[in-house]
Amino acid sequence: MLHQQKLRFSTTGRGTYNITQQINDTIEKSGLKSGICHVFIQHTSASLILCENADKTVREDLDAYMARLVKDGDSLFKHKDEGPDDMAAHIRTILTQSSLSIPVHKGKCDLGLWQGIFLWEHRTNPHKRNIAVTIMGE
Amino acid sequence: MVFQETIKIAPQEKGANDITDVISDLITESKIKVGTCQLFIHNSFSSLLIYDTADEQVKKQTIDFLAQLAPSSDGTTDDINKSMDAIPDEMRAAILQTSISFPINRGKPILGTWQGIYLWERTSQPNERNLTITIIGE
Repeated sequence: MLHQQKLRFSTTGRGTYNITQQINDTIEKSGLKSGICHVFIQHTSASLILCENADKTVREDLDAYMARLVKDGDSLFKHKDEGPDDMAAHIRTILTQSSLSIPVHKGKCDLGLWQGIFLWEHRTNPHKRNIAVTIMGE
Repeated sequence: MVFQETIKIAPQEKGANDITDVISDLITESKIKVGTCQLFIHNSFSSLLIYDTADEQVKKQTIDFLAQLAPSSDGTTDDINKSMDAIPDEMRAAILQTSISFPINRGKPILGTWQGIYLWERTSQPNERNLTITIIGE
């Protein structure tokens, strides 16, 4: 059996957003108890990660580390029509993930105790982000 | 339903090569309308990427950025059997993707407006590449 649905999120700018609950709600809606949940983000300046969900400083540190690795407005960049964070956002996207596959067990994402699913907004301004969820199983 | 095929892709130029049309045609051939599609590349000198289609500069600058992140001349000791840039290139391989997956709806990939599917060739002397496509759905 297969269930496919689009979700839309509003971000308030650069940072990580926990979307685990919305993904679990989608699985519940599908009625599927066991299988695989595929999550795909339809953008090239925002991405998906599985990350520690307890201490938010972990994600703040991740963002700070990424900002050090990929500098906004780096003199290397020519693609800056939409500002200094434009090209950096594209690179941050390919260094992370556009899709995640998560096992579904007892009608929920079978995540580790400290794992959460996060949308990582790489642009500094707020954006609307589309995510397609496909659940396959029985 | 499962559709699986291994195709050969003719040697491509170093950099990002758009293979969205080739993949879309295979999805049409599979006759699967809803589900997910996984692509896997059978070598370590090229990667797969869902990336920005809008501006050619984005691709070029990502190549420059990765070259800077894992430079060829950083004095890393090299395996005797490999060319001088093999080790840094394998670092680039490790931070990029060997497989990607995306959802399918109405017999087409559900990609964002600015997303395309790319074979990222990292060597200047590319060979023919084997790529396996697995489509699961109904």
